[in-house]
Amino acid sequence: MDDVVSLIDVRATYEGERHATLAGVTLSVAATEQLAITGPNGAGKTTILEVINGLLPIASGTVRTLGQEVTLASHRLRTQIAYVPQNLFFPPDTPFLVRDVVFTARFGKTGTRRLSSAEERRRINRSLKAIGISDLGGRPVGRLSGGQQRKTLLARALAQEAKLLLLDEPTANLDPEAKEDVSALVALVRRELGAAAVVVSHETGPLLDASDRTVAVDSGRVVAETRLGDRVSTSSR
Amino acid sequence: MFGLPWHIVLPTLLGSLLVGAMCSAVGTFVVRMKLSSLGFAMSHAAFAGAALGLMVSVIDPIWTAILFAVLMAAALGPIADLSRLQVDTVVGATFPLTMALGLIFINKAPSAGIGSGALSLLWGSVLGITMGQVYVLVGVFVATLGVLVLFGRDFFALLLDRKLARASGVNTARAFYVLLFLVAIIVAVSLRVTGGLLIYALMILPASAAFQWAYDIKKVFLIAPLLGILASLSGFLLSLWADLPIGASIALCCAAVFFGSVALSPKRRRGSRGS
Repeated sequence: MDDVVSLIDVRATYEGERHATLAGVTLSVAATEQLAITGPNGAGKTTILEVINGLLPIASGTVRTLGQEVTLASHRLRTQIAYVPQNLFFPPDTPFLVRDVVFTARFGKTGTRRLSSAEERRRINRSLKAIGISDLGGRPVGRLSGGQQRKTLLARALAQEAKLLLLDEPTANLDPEAKEDVSALVALVRRELGAAAVVVSHETGPLLDASDRTVAVDSGRVVAETRLGDRVSTSSR
Repeated sequence: MFGLPWHIVLPTLLGSLLVGAMCSAVGTFVVRMKLSSLGFAMSHAAFAGAALGLMVSVIDPIWTAILFAVLMAAALGPIADLSRLQVDTVVGATFPLTMALGLIFINKAPSAGIGSGALSLLWGSVLGITMGQVYVLVGVFVATLGVLVLFGRDFFALLLDRKLARASGVNTARAFYVLLFLVAIIVAVSLRVTGGLLIYALMILPASAAFQWAYDIKKVFLIAPLLGILASLSGFLLSLWADLPIGASIALCCAAVFFGSVALSPKRRRGSRGS
């Protein structure tokens, strides 16, 4: 089966930065695989996600996502990728209901036609129910806890029917119980969609433990790689 | 009505209603996306453009107002796209520039253009609006509805979070510039009602007031135009009753709507985790 993500010797720099944020990254993600990316702050973890999604142009190398070369103009491609950015937190005065936040994920599926349809409402309700937040649908998203907002974004990813999940620190700043909760929901979303996932995390936990492979990034390069079997066999020694 | 014939009252009421609704509707985007400084810059650019039209006398000032507002949007748009902080600095520089240009153009206008023409640019003169000008407003209103239908979903996603919208496949740059030019055109055609100095009030205050009443953006979009119409019509009646400049009266009513909404907002009465 073809890889859903393929980065070959990718170099990338944020505008205004003197040094390359990615200094030659090569990695791939197989279909239905969960790849974890770890590393210290500033290592380039988030940059890898942005390059995969075409949100940041590359200076050199090649990036192919879901079989297509990625550019800044890959709008259609991004409709198949569910990206949950780091530190996305809706402040209390955010004038959006949970249901509407999930609804915004459907736009790429249906184009610029009328705002709502019965079928779209059904899909949204199904996503909310699968994540277990049906009762929050009519609540203002800014009034939810951090864990509830993360669940909203996972419901959004599910509603988007994405083939690839890009999750940047999805369990950051959550208590241990919420971390377990979100990790289980990530697994559920992947199962429902049959999607691959790339998860960035700088802390150990259930999300990393559930990943098929882990790559460590430092100073814009991949410095180590471990597979789930290696981690299990190492821990059993 | 107020001793005025219906051929004056009707276009005045229609003009006020349309401008109040349109400015407040786009004001919802401006307030939510924190583009107030851009709105400010465009309103004063429109004023300078209209003053140029007054000076050259061969063209309806509304077209030069639109031209200047659109040029300002085109110039500031890329800056706003890259960094909001830089926009405030640039707008701070453009405001005295556009005001100075506007006053110079008025000063240089033929004597026939000075007086009611110049004053109407500054303070508004919806009483002088003709049915022909109302038809222009209707055209812009219909075009605005068309744009909102065509780009409604993109705008909706943009209003939630721009990065999330872009990551989901929305062409946020296209949506942003469509919105910007729409604001520019609406500001320019609305000059006649409140004047260049106070059009900003009609764009920002009713929309800001609407956000005080709802956590649901869809409701905000319904409430904002209603508050804009309320402020416009109230200002019109106030100006007739108290013999005040109409633009200033509308701005006063906009302020009353805003502060009243803040004081009465149901959000103030809820706990930290309201329903």
